[in-house]
Amino acid sequence: MAGDLAAYEVLVTRYSAVAHRTAALLGAGDEAEDVVQEAFVRAFRYLSGFRRDAAFKPWLLRIVANLTHDLTRSRGRRNDLVLKIGVEPETRVPDDPEGVAIAGDRRARLLEAVRALPERERQAVVCRYFLQLSEAETAEVLGWPLGSVKSRTFRGLARLRKEVGHELS
Amino acid sequence: MNSPDDAGGAEEMEAELRALGEALRVPEPPPADVARAVRARLEGPERAGSLKPRRPERPGRRRTWRWGAAGVAAVVALLVGLTPQGQAAVGAVLRFAGIEAHIGEEPPPPPRGVPSPLPGERRVTLDEARRLVRLPFAVPAALGETRDVRVSDGGRVVSLFWPGVRLDAYDGVLTPMWRKDLGAPFPEEVVVGTAEGWWISGPHQVTYLPGDGSTRTLPRAAAPTLIWRRGGVAYRLEGPAELDRARRVAESLR
Repeated sequence: MAGDLAAYEVLVTRYSAVAHRTAALLGAGDEAEDVVQEAFVRAFRYLSGFRRDAAFKPWLLRIVANLTHDLTRSRGRRNDLVLKIGVEPETRVPDDPEGVAIAGDRRARLLEAVRALPERERQAVVCRYFLQLSEAETAEVLGWPLGSVKSRTFRGLARLRKEVGHELS
Repeated sequence: MNSPDDAGGAEEMEAELRALGEALRVPEPPPADVARAVRARLEGPERAGSLKPRRPERPGRRRTWRWGAAGVAAVVALLVGLTPQGQAAVGAVLRFAGIEAHIGEEPPPPPRGVPSPLPGERRVTLDEARRLVRLPFAVPAALGETRDVRVSDGGRVVSLFWPGVRLDAYDGVLTPMWRKDLGAPFPEEVVVGTAEGWWISGPHQVTYLPGDGSTRTLPRAAAPTLIWRRGGVAYRLEGPAELDRARRVAESLR
């Protein structure tokens, strides 16, 4: 048991960042930390039923997604995507403050449009682009058939393009 | 103006969404604290499986972690007594720029078996690599042209080769992409241009951690390696035996 726990600590440290990001982006808000801790505890207890040749990450993230879903349902409200846009990437052009401001404004509008998407389309968009999961991983994490991942992503993208327009700086 | 079902427009929207995702900041406690808290719960008495706040106890320090710094800043986590099966005793874990270095008192046993290429590795031209990989990676001028460029794991890594030298460019912000096992000496913190970097001076083992979370790649023996980040891209340069030479190559990125 002690050896298993020590080995498991390595996995927890490795996937802690992506697990927190998944919980937060799927709407766990302030409770993301609790969701992640609980997910890691459950994942360890279910580990005996886990196929060694399967990938640990999507399996863990599925537990995170399920717990987040239970949590937001129990709160009886729409799972808010409460997020802040952080520092601009270092690649910006420093002597172009106007361009930076326009790009920042467009980002804020895009984030607003993602928030306003119907829930399933938003989940698909969050997994595919914000978490950068593959279609197959998204299907596993959200527990959907692959075809639903494709169609909901497609519909979400189309809606976002209509909302935010396609004028690019 | 593109029509909504124009594939090029959809690709632009996808790229914009990825960039937006990368700019989103999510509060995230230090992974070592999470590991400790999870372990404490697993070792403790079984409790009801409901979701209750059970945060690690850190008086006066709650919720003060810096946002978004994880994976960029080096975090040295001391996990004393951590002994993964089949590995040498590990004294410390260093995390930096997509690298997870496990440092033990003894060097790891030499890897067995034939080193495998990275998953999905294929040879491309430099121009093809720039199209296939979303990272704005740069190429060192100091080494001259390379004719051996490879893209792996669905564009997650681009590798450039010169005789005796290998340069991998990758993202590595979200999850570690390489695990390194080594003994003494501890990696040396260095400056590359204006950025922080780490220099691993001796031979060690490196294992690629695939994007799908599987652990199917085998460790291979690695030469001295310099690790640093530049313009949102992480680099590992393997081959030059002295730090000065490695740094000259690293600082010549264009």
